[in-house]
Amino acid sequence: MRRLRALEPLAWVGPAVLLIAVVVLWPVIEMIRSSFLKISRFGVVQGGNGLANYEKLFGEKDFADIMVRSVIWVVAVVVLTVLISLALAQLFNQHFPLRKIARWALIAPWAASVLMTAIIFKWMLDPEVGVINQLRMKLGLIDAMGGAAADQLGDASTAMPWLVFVAVFVSVPFTTYALLAGLATIPSDVYEAARMDGAGRLRTYWSITLPLLRPALTVAALINVMNVFNSFPIIWAMTHGQPGYSTATSTIFMFILKGSDIGESAAMSVVNFGMVIVLTVIFLKVSRWNKEVT
Amino acid sequence: MKMKLAGGAALGLATVLVLSSCGSGGGDDQGSGDGQVTLKMVAADYGDGPGKPNSGETFWKGVVDEFQAANPTIKVDVQVINWNDIDNQVATMIQNGQVPDILQTGDYSGFVKDGLLHKADEVLSPNVSGDMLEKFAEFGKVDGTQYGIPFVSSARALFYNKDLFDKAGIKEPPKTWDDLKAAAGKLKEAGVTQPFGLPLGQEEAQAESFLWMLGNGGGYKDDSGKWAIDSPQNVETFTYMKGLVEAGLTTPNPGTKDRKTVWEDFGAGKVGMVNGGPMSIPIFDAAGLKNYGVVPIPGRTGPLDTTLGVMDWIMAFNKNGHAAEIKKFFDFFYTGSAAQKISDTYKLLPVTNGGIEKLSGDEKLKPFLDALPNASFYPFQDPKWATVNPAIKQTIGGAVKDGPAKVLGELQKTAEAAG
Repeated sequence: MRRLRALEPLAWVGPAVLLIAVVVLWPVIEMIRSSFLKISRFGVVQGGNGLANYEKLFGEKDFADIMVRSVIWVVAVVVLTVLISLALAQLFNQHFPLRKIARWALIAPWAASVLMTAIIFKWMLDPEVGVINQLRMKLGLIDAMGGAAADQLGDASTAMPWLVFVAVFVSVPFTTYALLAGLATIPSDVYEAARMDGAGRLRTYWSITLPLLRPALTVAALINVMNVFNSFPIIWAMTHGQPGYSTATSTIFMFILKGSDIGESAAMSVVNFGMVIVLTVIFLKVSRWNKEVT
Repeated sequence: MKMKLAGGAALGLATVLVLSSCGSGGGDDQGSGDGQVTLKMVAADYGDGPGKPNSGETFWKGVVDEFQAANPTIKVDVQVINWNDIDNQVATMIQNGQVPDILQTGDYSGFVKDGLLHKADEVLSPNVSGDMLEKFAEFGKVDGTQYGIPFVSSARALFYNKDLFDKAGIKEPPKTWDDLKAAAGKLKEAGVTQPFGLPLGQEEAQAESFLWMLGNGGGYKDDSGKWAIDSPQNVETFTYMKGLVEAGLTTPNPGTKDRKTVWEDFGAGKVGMVNGGPMSIPIFDAAGLKNYGVVPIPGRTGPLDTTLGVMDWIMAFNKNGHAAEIKKFFDFFYTGSAAQKISDTYKLLPVTNGGIEKLSGDEKLKPFLDALPNASFYPFQDPKWATVNPAIKQTIGGAVKDGPAKVLGELQKTAEAAG
């Protein structure tokens, strides 16, 4: 009986461990295995392929551009999201009339499916009928509908900012709520003490709010880094990574490769997986370094 | 109490085990002893998606119900997948060993090399295969043996908006590239935002490109069967197209535009001319456009005497050993009302002599039926096409932006390296 009791914890954690093994570890192992196999476009495994998939991937003309773009994409989206969310969280932490409604409204972009949001923006930007272009025409920013000037998603230099905008738009609600929760944990007597010591608003924010908000900020930013790096629907729905590969990130490139070479696509997945881990480790290092300073 | 809890945990563990085993398996249930056989079929969706009256699910349910009523021992399980995902999903099925019995999609050739398919004569009665258009059946052969069974076909022609042509004062539809350029210029002056609709985006860039290549005696391969994507004719063709784009006579940024969007714009009266097929007619109808004409596609010096023909295929996999049952289903499909119904519902062209005869009275389809016998096809029998095609879809639009020689040269390199 006692022996059975000793085994009891195992029975409790067992299912969870097994679940993780089946839905997390096993696919990762399969992914890594696939990246060393020769697999036809039609899914037939034709044997081992050594490092050839990786060699082919690193030899792709657009590979370097895509990796650099992926990092810029993550940094731009996460930095903008965090800055905007910090301001919004501060705002929503104040008491003002209709605050409840405003807080509810902020949930909308989060509650809507990301794919749906992306498709809506694609149509709002449509060169022939898009509402954003009609607005730009009324404002005199473009001369006519339908032309190249009205086609902002058709060129990487104007498409990229819109993609970043939509990604920030869908990331802000979650981040704001995470920070809002963080703000709620800061006891008010700390602020009182600061006021007694004669600290100004800016000084209070910098020396009290931000440091005490750090745990929430770290978690929110980290989740965003991983989400944005693996973000697929926004770019796929709005540009397909086109023209050429000029708006593709590594996740999009992985999906496109799947249409021609599954092994190479698996290699891209492994590189992607590695990138997320590296980004996460760097991020955690940086935030811990902050901790030692304060 | 403690025992109870441990029991609960064990139950949870068991549930997880059962759940995780659900994913695999399936696929080859060889009947349950009473002679019942289930055929697993995967098909592409020619309709507007799930829930729409013309969805693939609805179409196949009608066919299968009728078939099962006549053949009570055979059950057909149809999974309909949209065109964008079907290749990837089928590849995943095969990679995981969940091979279907029947697949209906856009390509068959890649499965032949690995010996996955039944030969056509193992799953088709002679009277059915005898009725197929010979040229089409020919394309179903790899090394002299037929594996791919033509399912439906389509051809392309130039659609032009007669109202817009009148408004711009254009007397007759273009016959040559220069006619086309002149007409596009007049349309632009008359305020048409996209005089010529040019979809070179991910959806079907390979089709629009091929139609233009044909106009200058080019193509993806030369006469000797070697890849010739960056041939001088093709470079010349794309240079001409680039001129049109830069003059603002086409859809802006063609390399990012899908054919569906451009066809919808044509239906909305925003596009003067566009290359389309029978399958674009329902889109124009839905948008309310009535007054349009259909003519052969202009080439550099005169109208094309050929056009792009596209054939979709149905094929039988040999893994589950259901040849006899598949044969019954195929014979039912081609000799019954189903093949006819697919043409009626989706405006796709039939692949049998009998089917073409039945449709010959349809005025709207006539230009396409006439073009079918002399159609040109993608080099899809070359296994490399499966690698080259996605690259074309993604990048060929750059040839009218960054420079034809460079972009076509890259694609040529991809074609020569692929293997």
